[in-house]
Amino acid sequence: MSSTSVYPTPINAFKQSKRSVLSVIVDNEPGILARIVGLFSGRGYNIEALNVTVVDVKKNLSRITIETLGEEKVISQIIAQLEKLVPVHSATNLANLSESYEAEICLVKIEFENEEQDQKILNFADIYRSRTVQKRQNFVVYEISGTSERINKFLDDLDTIGGIKVELVRSGPIGLGI
Amino acid sequence: MNNENEFTGADILLKALKDQEVDTIFGYPGGAVLPIYDAIFGQNFLKHVLVRQEAGAVHAAEGYARSSGKVGVLLVTSGPGVTNVVTGLTDALMDSIPIVCISGQVPSHLIGTDAFQECDTTGITRPCTKHNYLVKDVSKLSETIHEAFKIASSGRPGPVLIDIPKDIQFAKSKYISKKDISFREHRIKAGSKNVDKNFVKELVNHIKKSERPIFYVGGGCLNSGHQASQELIKLVNKTNIPITTTLHGLGCFPGEDKSSLGMLGMHGNYEANLAMNKCDLMINVGARFDDRVTGRLDAFSPDSIKFHIDIDQSSINKNVKVNFHTNTDITITLKEINAFIDSNNIDFGDKDYDNWWGQINEWRKKECLHYEQGDEVIKPQHAISRLYELTKQKDTFVTTEVGQHQMWAAQYYKFSKPNRWITSGGLGTMGFGMPAAVGAQMANPDSLVIDIAGEASFLMNIQEIATAVQYKLPIKIFILNNEYMGMVRQWQELLHGSRYSESYVDALPDFKKLAESFNAVGVRAKNISELDDTINEMISIDRPVIADIWVDKKENCFPMIPSGAAHHEMLLSKYDKENPENQEKGKVLV
Repeated sequence: MSSTSVYPTPINAFKQSKRSVLSVIVDNEPGILARIVGLFSGRGYNIEALNVTVVDVKKNLSRITIETLGEEKVISQIIAQLEKLVPVHSATNLANLSESYEAEICLVKIEFENEEQDQKILNFADIYRSRTVQKRQNFVVYEISGTSERINKFLDDLDTIGGIKVELVRSGPIGLGI
Repeated sequence: MNNENEFTGADILLKALKDQEVDTIFGYPGGAVLPIYDAIFGQNFLKHVLVRQEAGAVHAAEGYARSSGKVGVLLVTSGPGVTNVVTGLTDALMDSIPIVCISGQVPSHLIGTDAFQECDTTGITRPCTKHNYLVKDVSKLSETIHEAFKIASSGRPGPVLIDIPKDIQFAKSKYISKKDISFREHRIKAGSKNVDKNFVKELVNHIKKSERPIFYVGGGCLNSGHQASQELIKLVNKTNIPITTTLHGLGCFPGEDKSSLGMLGMHGNYEANLAMNKCDLMINVGARFDDRVTGRLDAFSPDSIKFHIDIDQSSINKNVKVNFHTNTDITITLKEINAFIDSNNIDFGDKDYDNWWGQINEWRKKECLHYEQGDEVIKPQHAISRLYELTKQKDTFVTTEVGQHQMWAAQYYKFSKPNRWITSGGLGTMGFGMPAAVGAQMANPDSLVIDIAGEASFLMNIQEIATAVQYKLPIKIFILNNEYMGMVRQWQELLHGSRYSESYVDALPDFKKLAESFNAVGVRAKNISELDDTINEMISIDRPVIADIWVDKKENCFPMIPSGAAHHEMLLSKYDKENPENQEKGKVLV
């Protein structure tokens, strides 16, 4: 049996904003991205990350992956709103599928000042199986991929090394339902 | 080299409109649409109605569409021409009205250069249309127009805009007719075509079990077509279940029928709101749980099982969680429900909901629409009641502006058929009613069309009286003149300590003289003894008439559920002041 709290907890605190990754197939036509982004900003939803690329040249289709935050009810509403847009074929919450895979790619340039830092960086890069894109005397460029969480952890680890300078770009997550 | 099978973009547009059986277009010319106007000049299938400002064109197209069930069409020029229709497009989007707006654009090579009368039309109208297009290739024009009509009228209807650069109007291509176009299904969003048999079965089972059921019917029933309303009447008669409608649902079910509880919501009937609050089974037919209907959400119909029929997936579980839903068209679904009841010989005869009707009749005794008409000053409620009594024998179309007069019209004018009631609900656009009446009269040339107006709203699109005069449209503008923005004044009285900040409309024109200066007819009733004669005179004149009805300046519209209150926390009259606790919470809401 759980103990009673000494202070009451407001019920709203339990309204969980969950991270969701939405996969949207659209006709690749002018303005489609503006429609989607406008839908999110106009209705007050969040976009944490966004990725758009043509995936079928013959059928002229693009796949858009959107990472968003919201309660389950909000996510269902986002999907329903997305599916109302004329050029949208389908919108899927990857979390609702029995099997799906997710990846993100990150390019990171790390400037260091001494041998000790270089060693530590190399060590983390090895653990996370990063690929070396370029290495010079005072900096190194890695490519690392995997779930966003994996990349976050790598960057957190790098953060523990003092005195280095990090510059990076991330693709945002992409996902595929099986 | 001239190819006989090739036509200019302007001619293709006209051919497509003819193909779509468009016979009326509302518009205003300008530089970027001159080639289209040139094409209009040389033809006779299409009647062009020249409005006096583009806002008039879009509301007229809405009035035309709502009163006829067809797609309304308008034509405007680039820049200011199209920015003037933004309000009307948003209005049509909120109220699900099928319209197609054709706008001119600067020539393709000037797009993006801040050219004269250039604006980012597709950018500006993207959030206020169901879909929009910028046509960059004349060979795509026919297909685009046909798809636009299809999208505007399919599923949950709405406004679609086609932006056509001037050079595309001159460029030549082949015309592709409507029958030669195959639409891509994912773009049309027509809703499910299959009846959800399980939904039907569950619904009938729940009707059998329930003790306090209610139908809650909205504008979706109207958009599904006349047959939806026929099926609904059949179902209500079979089951003896009480029915309440939203503002837009008025007319889907005969307002004077014994099963009708009238309108629900913020200014809805006491019995309708109480029945929604206490019901154990709610059957939502094409309504969207709007905040004006639900009141405070956490106290909205707490004990009911909810069924929802709506063609728009995003309307389901948006504001209120329902137990059962279907995305199939209302006509198809209601037909199936009726067929299911008939084929299984289900008889609701022994289940007359006697206790429930007994309770409802108790609530009815409150006579929430009661008012005291004295011997001098006209009460606005009385003006509408008399207008109804004196016009109900005719097939009358009523449009409204927005405010107190609109709510009184909804309360005291009874509609027995769909498409006779044309009002701006979702957006609440003042200035809607008069141009909408122009559109409704164009679609129904032999019917009586009345715009029930307030003097403040009427002034917002007053220029369109000239349109009515030019095309000899005998619309009647019935102004409940109280010299205030009445609804603003009412809220200031109830929520802001009677501080009437800027809600008094000073320096009003003399509406009778104003009518005469437009070559329309002006009539006036200053007190109760002149009311009936004035209404009769107005109806008898076969020209546009402005009737200036002087009404009680301080009358408020009741019942009223203040913002932030629940259905059972309704104010019934001015003697029934709300408690101050609610006032502060309600103030921040709209």
